[in-house]
Amino acid sequence: MTVLAAPGDTWGIPGPVFLRWYLLAAAVLVVGTLVHRFRGLAGTPVDGTGPLGPQQVAYLNGGDQLAVWTALGGLRRAGVVGVTPDRRLTTAGSLPAGATPLDQAIFHTAARGVHSRELRRDEWVTRALEQLRDGLQQRGLALGPDRRAALRRGPMLIAALLAVGVIRAFVGLSHSRPAGFLLLSLVPLFIAFVLLSRVPWRTRAADRALRELRRRHTWLRPSAAPAYATYGPSDAAMGVALFGTATIWAMDPGFADQAEIQRQAISAGGGSGSSGSSCSSGSSCGGGSSCGGGGCGGGGGCGG
Amino acid sequence: MTRDSGAGRTAGADPAGAPSPAAPPAGRPPSSGAPPAVGGSGLAARQAALVAALVAGGPLPPGFAPEPVAAARRALLRKRAGDVARHWPLLAAGLGADWSATFAGWAAGRPTNGSLRDGWDLARELRDHGRLPALGAEELASREATTRYDGRTAPRPRRLPAVARAGGAVAVQLAGRVRLLRPARR
Amino acid sequence: MTGPSPAPTPTDPATGPGPYGIGIGWRPEIAGFVAGLPGLRFVEVVAETVSPAGPLPDGLAELRERGVTVVPHGVRLSLGGAEPVDPARVAHLAGVAAAVDAPLVSEHIAFVRAGGLEAGHLLPLPRSRDAVAAVVANVRRAQAELPVPLALEPIAALFDWPDDELDEADFLTEILDATGALLLLDVANVHANARNRGGDPLTLLDRLPLDRVAYVHVAGGAEQGGFYHDTHTDPVPAEVLDLVGELCARRRPPALLLERDGHYPPAAELRAELDALAAASGYPVVT
Repeated sequence: MTVLAAPGDTWGIPGPVFLRWYLLAAAVLVVGTLVHRFRGLAGTPVDGTGPLGPQQVAYLNGGDQLAVWTALGGLRRAGVVGVTPDRRLTTAGSLPAGATPLDQAIFHTAARGVHSRELRRDEWVTRALEQLRDGLQQRGLALGPDRRAALRRGPMLIAALLAVGVIRAFVGLSHSRPAGFLLLSLVPLFIAFVLLSRVPWRTRAADRALRELRRRHTWLRPSAAPAYATYGPSDAAMGVALFGTATIWAMDPGFADQAEIQRQAISAGGGSGSSGSSCSSGSSCGGGSSCGGGGCGGGGGCGG
Repeated sequence: MTRDSGAGRTAGADPAGAPSPAAPPAGRPPSSGAPPAVGGSGLAARQAALVAALVAGGPLPPGFAPEPVAAARRALLRKRAGDVARHWPLLAAGLGADWSATFAGWAAGRPTNGSLRDGWDLARELRDHGRLPALGAEELASREATTRYDGRTAPRPRRLPAVARAGGAVAVQLAGRVRLLRPARR
Repeated sequence: MTGPSPAPTPTDPATGPGPYGIGIGWRPEIAGFVAGLPGLRFVEVVAETVSPAGPLPDGLAELRERGVTVVPHGVRLSLGGAEPVDPARVAHLAGVAAAVDAPLVSEHIAFVRAGGLEAGHLLPLPRSRDAVAAVVANVRRAQAELPVPLALEPIAALFDWPDDELDEADFLTEILDATGALLLLDVANVHANARNRGGDPLTLLDRLPLDRVAYVHVAGGAEQGGFYHDTHTDPVPAEVLDLVGELCARRRPPALLLERDGHYPPAAELRAELDALAAASGYPVVT
């Protein structure tokens, strides 16, 4: 069927022709973005590249802040970090063998008597976190800014196409041309845009690795009241990395309270249970005392 | 394995033989010093008197050496304190070095209703006397937001959203997840 | 009325499915430690902490997949209670035995509640004919419902009843003979009772039916206020390890199990205790 251009057509293109090409472009863009995204998020399986340390796991699970809590939890279990009555961190003894750069950074920052929530802002800690992040990006587990920007290119093009469609519909409607089908096709395209513009910051390989680690370490769930004294610093750190700061609260409530370690929302029934998800990267507790004032930001919550 | 018809041989006609965790008579022991009787029911009464002496403040049954029984009573309290601390870790941590003495003082002569309820009753009593530590208050508020407990029967999970307060702490529960809105006064 | 069950003998250690070698009490708190013991072939789980209907606790299911024998150990049946044992509790124990595919289950010669009050711990019985009759009746009731043999464990106690008619060995032997049950001998309890209530632990070992021992418990304790407390939260004392050696010299039990219920020490210390058990008994190290 051929449709001839009529003088009243918007931009001189008949509606059905435009719609046909528009839908084709939309399909190509969405499929292309999906394929690109699928490939771009695949990542490199962990098996070939050696096991992940607790801080790496923490970064993948909850970003910078969880990596900091994880290092702090490990150092606390090792007995080299404490807290003063005025809620400042202290150190005792020396760093255990095998300390990571982040351990060193946290240890030295803690030695300066900062509050636990200030750790992440310290320059040395920031550098160690960058180093941690870079390593994970090179291993194909975390996505760097450039990779994430590349994955946003598809959604950008979809946004442009959406804009064209919106303008065309607007112009058409203002000339009393029918635009119902075009408007209808904008809805799924907009949904696709919203979904695809959310670019994760870890790869599917990292998702799989985290799932597997959680499965293998169910005994570290805080609700099982793990005997942290038996397990040692690196297992304690892994507990924080996989199950969040509830681990520090279960391991050493007095320290967690005094040092204002972030609290998580807990699920009913479990004394200090924690779901698989843990505090998001950006979250930290506001207010003078833990979880004070406006409560907690981000994914981390408060709980007893 | 041979089936045994000996089930008909009742060793004690005590109707409380099937214990229901929901309804232990709180408090007073059966009024004894019951004199040792002969036969199975005698054993039942003497066992009841001994348990009452150990956990409910009952008198020492005749013939027992006081010192070892007292040591057993203290050992039972220590064990209970450990069990309750596992259920109420923040309450115990909040009391710190005072935990054992505080618990023993509260629990002496008071038979257990299970670790969960024991800790709950203790936390409420401390709250009423203004002696609940901040950590314990936060733990109590969180528990009360998730679970309904009338002080007499087994706690039951709340289905509806709830807000609970204790010692300045405010906890809110929504769809089974609880958050501490405000910490306790410190 | 039929006679007592035909006495099961402990399974042949090398081939049978029963407990063998050095084991440890599985607790959720140390599940990761237990899972990391390469030579482990035998654990015990507190029966009251397992739900027979639901899935097994994570670590326990993995041990079963590895072929590790799991023995449910009841602590709240109150077999020594003057009241008949609660059928629901027996059914639970039977259900756990089926869920973990256990070769046997164990409980205590003790009572834990009376007159509607929970004692919260295992209490000793008078060593009287009455008490023997009460235990035997309850054990038979339980045996009738259990799918596997039952092993009975004598407890540690700080005090005696005033009117004991039998000594410990006769008391235990009568119960075992009348019920056909196996013996779960707790060496730490033997030590504790001798220390607190007098008597020579070696004499007791000489008089017990050691051929009926299904396995042995070993646990730590501490002196406090002039008594030795069988706490399960302290290290195993040298005297208890010596008793293990004495026991094995008389008749080596098919299996020995370390019980630890709290105040868990660093992994190295737990491993050292397991190794000491292996050394004292001549069984292969599991660490």
